[in-house]
Amino acid sequence: MGYARFLAKRGLQGVFVVWAVVTVVFALRYITPGSPVAFIAPLDAGPELRQAIAESYGLNQPLYVQYGQYLWDLARLDMGQSYARGTSVSAEVFAALPVSLELAVASTVVAIIISIPLGVVSAVNHRQPSDYVATSLSLVGISTPNFWLGVMLVLLLSVQFNVFPTSGLAEIDGQTVMFVDALRHLLQGETRWMVEWLAHITLPAVTLGTYFTALVTRLTRSGMLEELGESYVTALRAKGLPEALVRYRHVLKNTLIPVITVLGLQLGTLVGGAVITERVFDLPGLGSLLIDAINQQQWMILQGCLIVVSAGFVIVNTTVDALYAYVSPEVSAE
Amino acid sequence: MTDSSNQPTASRRKFLTAAGSTAVTALVAGCSSNSDSNSTEAATGTSPEATTSEQTESGPPEEFQVTITQGTMPTTLDPHDHRDIPTDITMLQSYEGLLSRTAEGEITAMLATDWERVEAGHVRFSIREGPTFHKTGNEVTPEDVAYTINRIVDDSVGFTSPQSGQLAGVTGAEVADDGRAVDVYSDGFNPIVFSEFAIYCDVVEKAWVKDHEKSYVAQNMNGTGPFEQTEYAQNQSVEFERYDDYWREPADVSHLTIESASDSGVRVNQLVAGETDLVVNVPPESFSRVEDSEASVEAVGSTRVIYNAMKATVEPFSSPKFRRAMNYAIDLEAIIDSALQGAGGQTGQPTLEPFFGYNDEADPYPHDPDEAERLVEESGHAGVSIELHTPVGRYLKDLQIARLVANMIDELPNVSCEVNQRTFSTLAGELTDSDITTGPDFYLIGWGNATFDASQTINPTLTSDGSLTSWKNDELDQLIEDANSTTDTDEREQLLREANQLCHDEAPWIFLNRQYSVYGTSDRIEWAARNDERIDAYAISPAQ
Repeated sequence: MGYARFLAKRGLQGVFVVWAVVTVVFALRYITPGSPVAFIAPLDAGPELRQAIAESYGLNQPLYVQYGQYLWDLARLDMGQSYARGTSVSAEVFAALPVSLELAVASTVVAIIISIPLGVVSAVNHRQPSDYVATSLSLVGISTPNFWLGVMLVLLLSVQFNVFPTSGLAEIDGQTVMFVDALRHLLQGETRWMVEWLAHITLPAVTLGTYFTALVTRLTRSGMLEELGESYVTALRAKGLPEALVRYRHVLKNTLIPVITVLGLQLGTLVGGAVITERVFDLPGLGSLLIDAINQQQWMILQGCLIVVSAGFVIVNTTVDALYAYVSPEVSAE
Repeated sequence: MTDSSNQPTASRRKFLTAAGSTAVTALVAGCSSNSDSNSTEAATGTSPEATTSEQTESGPPEEFQVTITQGTMPTTLDPHDHRDIPTDITMLQSYEGLLSRTAEGEITAMLATDWERVEAGHVRFSIREGPTFHKTGNEVTPEDVAYTINRIVDDSVGFTSPQSGQLAGVTGAEVADDGRAVDVYSDGFNPIVFSEFAIYCDVVEKAWVKDHEKSYVAQNMNGTGPFEQTEYAQNQSVEFERYDDYWREPADVSHLTIESASDSGVRVNQLVAGETDLVVNVPPESFSRVEDSEASVEAVGSTRVIYNAMKATVEPFSSPKFRRAMNYAIDLEAIIDSALQGAGGQTGQPTLEPFFGYNDEADPYPHDPDEAERLVEESGHAGVSIELHTPVGRYLKDLQIARLVANMIDELPNVSCEVNQRTFSTLAGELTDSDITTGPDFYLIGWGNATFDASQTINPTLTSDGSLTSWKNDELDQLIEDANSTTDTDEREQLLREANQLCHDEAPWIFLNRQYSVYGTSDRIEWAARNDERIDAYAISPAQ
């Protein structure tokens, strides 16, 4: 199958997925008790005021009309306005997205840096002390709930020893510091921004990355062990290839397929699913936005978040598939 | 009213409409309430010397940075485009109105020096000379004030302000003949007009607002207050610098930052780690952690009362004996001690102390399970099963309080009681549909009252045509109607006191706790919490 056809097919699938998500959310409005009006209106507002509020947000229309209108707006890239606050949903969602993306990527980087070497060490030194240490560590990591870990890290390193800030995004002179800002200033020779950014991202990234680290360590270890037993390894060694080349150039590369799959899927989950970590560290990302939207029956923001999260999943999965093709050419031949 | 004997009597309906919408402010977010007031509002006033915070003899300190962490960030910086307390708290650092209230609840002068009632529906404010706007340096003029009022109440000036209901009855304003005053007109008598102006009406500069896009006004502040806003990162922080040309003494705080953290645990961590100086809503379980650090917990009664309404139109709650029995069945002191770590006050009537009309003889019901059992027997409803509906997370420890109440009732040998957890929006939807027959018979809810006046709690929640009512009692209806139509202050107070006594005796509610506002403050600042939930950074000074 040609690469263009592959992408086109995936693009269409993506649109379908997003449409399905929007439709399901709209259907959920039917079975969800309570109306957003109850949240927007003061408790003692009269029926006239309630009616006026419902009308101003189109909430008095039949659901299929609201649904049609929403799809029509969406086709014109307009995700609507939030209730009560009246802010643009796109603005809210796209302000939150980079925060979640940074956290997801940073925690993935933490996971990769720690887990792959650990997995390799563990597999190569099979049933030796270093293997036991590595597997025990990953067992601890996999069984530590990250909300607990986050709270403990904050209490110990931030509150007790003041090493890291307790929460929030980095800020310098009233300006929020994101990774790109930090990088730009670093290139200009100013390190303060990057230091500040790192100080704020470290604890959340470690918290979120830990579970992940454990998982990937175990995957790498078992994958390596399996591959090391294959006959091609014996052949390579017989050919006189240096052991390092055998391990890293051939065995590790073959091991990475399931690892990339898991990393990709996790990354997708992380973008919208780091709710607990975002709460513990008070990061204004998509997870926080999503939870607030659910609590306040902010359907428009909820839909906006879900569209972005589902689109994110589609993009990540497509990218993962494309990476497969690179690591293992026979995948694309299917 | 002190000198209103010649004024026409306000019709009950008009008063309810006007006053009701003022009280509403307190309820929007379930965590908000407003400026206090008492209804002995003077019809005229003069107070050229506004109260100031403690100032040291030698002037304000050079460098004194303070950070305040709220639960949410302001939704906008446009002072007329919001209705929530966190935004309000941000506004009051930079913007000022005509009138304000002291921490004790007295109306005090801000940008107005005098205020008087000219005639029914017509009041006049004399505008202070001297205050200047931060961004332009221009002096505030009566024209700016008139424009401000019209921007709020008149849809054709700019936009529809969500605060128009807060200046209920006000129809418009214009510069008075002498050029230094503003005339404000209202529909009808408008007895609470000065109370309204003590809560809302942040004065903006007409030319500055007109010269800029609405989105610019929503992201920049140009007030006359003690702090000039310098930075604004939406959903992140607002930064202020002390305004040295302020018309009162400059503030002690040199640099002010307002931030937010929605999770109370995060706020406590920030306070304990020394990253912030003042946090809102410290949860009871964190009191000891805060006290053990270089910070302390400051709790003060808010204007919100928590209660269990018993719908008096259905059995068994139609029986006053049964309703009283429910009050005797609970140990309110124990509930406040265990669920709220003592941060709550006991109530025995709908009205809080020191509201106008509070009855100091209507004490909380004592805990007396034997009396409760006896009254249930007498009511003829022995063996009944009831269900208490409660929102979860709407009010401080609402579910825990409801569970304790239900357990205590359940311990009576002749009543069984269970808790039904509800989402607030469904519960509120059933209660506020103007139909007393829908909705649960027995539910926990809270009521905040912006005006410090008993009528604004009883009107909506207990009179027959109240929007949230659970009771129908002719005697109470008559008392409240009389109270709302008399112009004699003493008579009005007496009527409201009687109404509260009646509520106590007939027990349409299980009277629960007065909700407290609980703050955590760093030991490096000195600041006193207010009943009205306002955090005025101008009143913050360095700890001695």
